[in-house]
Amino acid sequence: MESVVHSFVSPPDHRLQSQNFSAMRTSSMSPSPIAHRSIPSSRCRAEKPIVAAAFPYSHSVFPLSTPLSLPSPCHSKVLFARPDAGVNSETGVWAMQDFYSLRKDVEATSKRVEEIRASAGLEQLGEEVAKLEKATGSDSFWDDRSSAQQTLMALTDIKDKMNLLKEFQDQIDDAETIVNLTEEMESTDTALLEEAATIVKELNKALDKFELSQLLSGPYDKEGAVINITAGAGGTDAQDWADMLLRMYVRWGERQRYKTRVVEKSMGEEAGIKSATIEVEGRYAFGYLSGEKGTHRIVRQSPFNSKGLRQTSFSGVEVMPLLPEDSLNVEIPEEDLQIGFSRAGGSGGQNVNKVETAVRITHIPTGVTVRCTEERSQLANKIKALSRLKAKLLVIAVEQRASEIKQIRGDAVKADWGQQIRNYVFHPYKLVKDVRTGFETTDIVSVMDGELDPFIKAYLRYKYTESMSN
Amino acid sequence: MNLSSLARLSSLSTVFASRILNRSIAFKPISCSSSVSVPHAPTSLNPNLPLFLRPPTFTATLSDLQKWQNWAKTLASSIGSSFTDSDNGPDSEILHRELNWLIEDALQNPKPLLTRNDSEHDIVLQLRADLGDLYTLWKQRIEKRRPFQYIVGCEHWRDLVLSVEEGVLIPRPETELIIDLVDDTIKQNAELNEGLWVDLGTGSGAIAIGIGRILGDSGRVIAIDISPIAVQVASFNVNRYNLQDKISVKQGSWFDPLIEFEGRVAGFVSNPPYIPSGHINGLQAEVGRHEPILALDGGEDGMSDLLHLCNGAALMLKPGGFFAFETNGEDQCLFLVDHMETIHHDSFHNLKIIPDFAGIQRFVTGIRI
Repeated sequence: MESVVHSFVSPPDHRLQSQNFSAMRTSSMSPSPIAHRSIPSSRCRAEKPIVAAAFPYSHSVFPLSTPLSLPSPCHSKVLFARPDAGVNSETGVWAMQDFYSLRKDVEATSKRVEEIRASAGLEQLGEEVAKLEKATGSDSFWDDRSSAQQTLMALTDIKDKMNLLKEFQDQIDDAETIVNLTEEMESTDTALLEEAATIVKELNKALDKFELSQLLSGPYDKEGAVINITAGAGGTDAQDWADMLLRMYVRWGERQRYKTRVVEKSMGEEAGIKSATIEVEGRYAFGYLSGEKGTHRIVRQSPFNSKGLRQTSFSGVEVMPLLPEDSLNVEIPEEDLQIGFSRAGGSGGQNVNKVETAVRITHIPTGVTVRCTEERSQLANKIKALSRLKAKLLVIAVEQRASEIKQIRGDAVKADWGQQIRNYVFHPYKLVKDVRTGFETTDIVSVMDGELDPFIKAYLRYKYTESMSN
Repeated sequence: MNLSSLARLSSLSTVFASRILNRSIAFKPISCSSSVSVPHAPTSLNPNLPLFLRPPTFTATLSDLQKWQNWAKTLASSIGSSFTDSDNGPDSEILHRELNWLIEDALQNPKPLLTRNDSEHDIVLQLRADLGDLYTLWKQRIEKRRPFQYIVGCEHWRDLVLSVEEGVLIPRPETELIIDLVDDTIKQNAELNEGLWVDLGTGSGAIAIGIGRILGDSGRVIAIDISPIAVQVASFNVNRYNLQDKISVKQGSWFDPLIEFEGRVAGFVSNPPYIPSGHINGLQAEVGRHEPILALDGGEDGMSDLLHLCNGAALMLKPGGFFAFETNGEDQCLFLVDHMETIHHDSFHNLKIIPDFAGIQRFVTGIRI
């Protein structure tokens, strides 16, 4: 938290500070040397929550409304006018090395555009459009309204994609023209170069987004997600770790502006949680989160052990799509389901009054189990558990390339969160490292604060490459 | 025997209070007897509005609410498994869950309290009860073992949210299954689907409303209870689900309100008092100390009301009519079936014992010949 505050108070670009942070000058906090470490890339989005988080008790320093009413630099020209290639802001003159750096960026981006256009198969797309357009022209096209609608939607999708690809080309062409002009004229026009820098920056963002959307092409990727977090063995340390993960995912969801809801939470005896369930509503939540499934391992000095010994704990994360009820029209035969209700012993009925309405459903052929406790009536829990079970089975079916649930090979269903996917080392050094992609960062504070995007993107690329090489 | 004599006999039932069960026909009002005092009976006949339906006219700051929440959590945690050990009551985990539900019901926007967002601590939240009342309510929950459902004034049952209050039995999750049994039956028999159904001893109206929502267009339900509070609460619930044209709630003793329908009833369901009198003292505190004894105590062996229902079913049901009764478990189920096969062998067929979700033989169903 400390470092976040500082980097916020004193961002590296002093122009940002002078224009947007003047309201905070009254703050008694002084900039510190560590302020000049890198600011998280999603600074814009994260800004408001960080302010609120950083100063919850600091009413006396400045009223909370002050930081919240700060102009957001997200849409300010200042940010975009600060090209990565770098302008010497003292003089406003482009040094030669800035130009070379820009030229290099333009060349790299041009290559990227070329690659993306090649892998998108522009020719095939063109053929597809011709084919679909021919179909829409036929006399019988509207005979089947729903299939006609689908054809039209597919056509629009492809055309949009082609337009986007063309736009990428146009933009990089513009940037290249500016670079070439500058070289020919042998003089620098600052405004032009800044425009080129802006184009490159924006274009790279658009390319990132495009690439990611290509990576998120699984059948449920665009759905919302349900995250289950379960503390591993090891008592309070593991339960505290599960709680930290819960916070991490909730923060991540909020940063993405997803509707994030902790629907179930079972508290640990001393601290932390035994388990929790989060529902994340929003487009592509499942696509982004599906790679989080697995065992997350923490190494740290135990805060629950007076000797402060180094302690390793585990927690499991499970991710399922949050599917709308009507998309779950899969029938599972009654005899394949084992439905258990937790009802504390005794004679039951009128003899007992407990609000214990948990329902646990096991799909016998595969051994896949779900539990639902958050609803207040048994029937509601049963309905919700069944739809979660269906979602889970559908995802497994996709993973196994099975066309229906019946074909899922039970023996091949791995333990819900068997594989260890990521290490979070707090001690003796700080490092978060993904076991699968090798992606790592030492900024463990930001990661625990929900800065998961680099890990998620690295995994999606890794998964994409894996699927290509198979 | 005709209905009027049955009704007359039933009003004399207290005379037979110490009757030994000898497979004779027992007569005892299902949930009425002026000779037994009702503990915790509310004085008002107007049903209390469930907490979640009350207007959010109170306010408190988030930090004050968090103070209350932390206090309540600590109180819940201090229980550990002591209630469970003493009388199979709730443990800390269940109490924590109840606390969250209380927050959901009491706050117009419970999110700042239930999620861990670092919200501003001085924001003001709107409450459906005074913060002081929340302290009192949670204290009652833990110290007096007042049932959670009476605290919030409602119970979530199937897909319904039913108003409940002291004097009305809190519907149990086991009983949810009766609606499924009825559903299975009416799906196979259109005549029952459009017929008249009776819920005797309706309490909060749970079963009647559950059935009312699955019956066909001309299907009707009569819900009967002797207790005026139950009638008020059931009527409130029926109205809330807009079923007043389909379900009529009547106050009365046993079959009195049904005399005109003798032999014309399509379905007959009941969750009568079935706990043996001797067990009442050992019940979980939430049940024994707070719920209406008349809805629980089924006489010496718990069978008085059930046996009376069997006779009623023989009289009231039309040929092909269906009945389902909830019982205390396997012994009562076996006894009932045996009784029906012996005494009413020419009245019923297709007698079945059906277990609840915990595997306890809970329900007896059958068809009137």
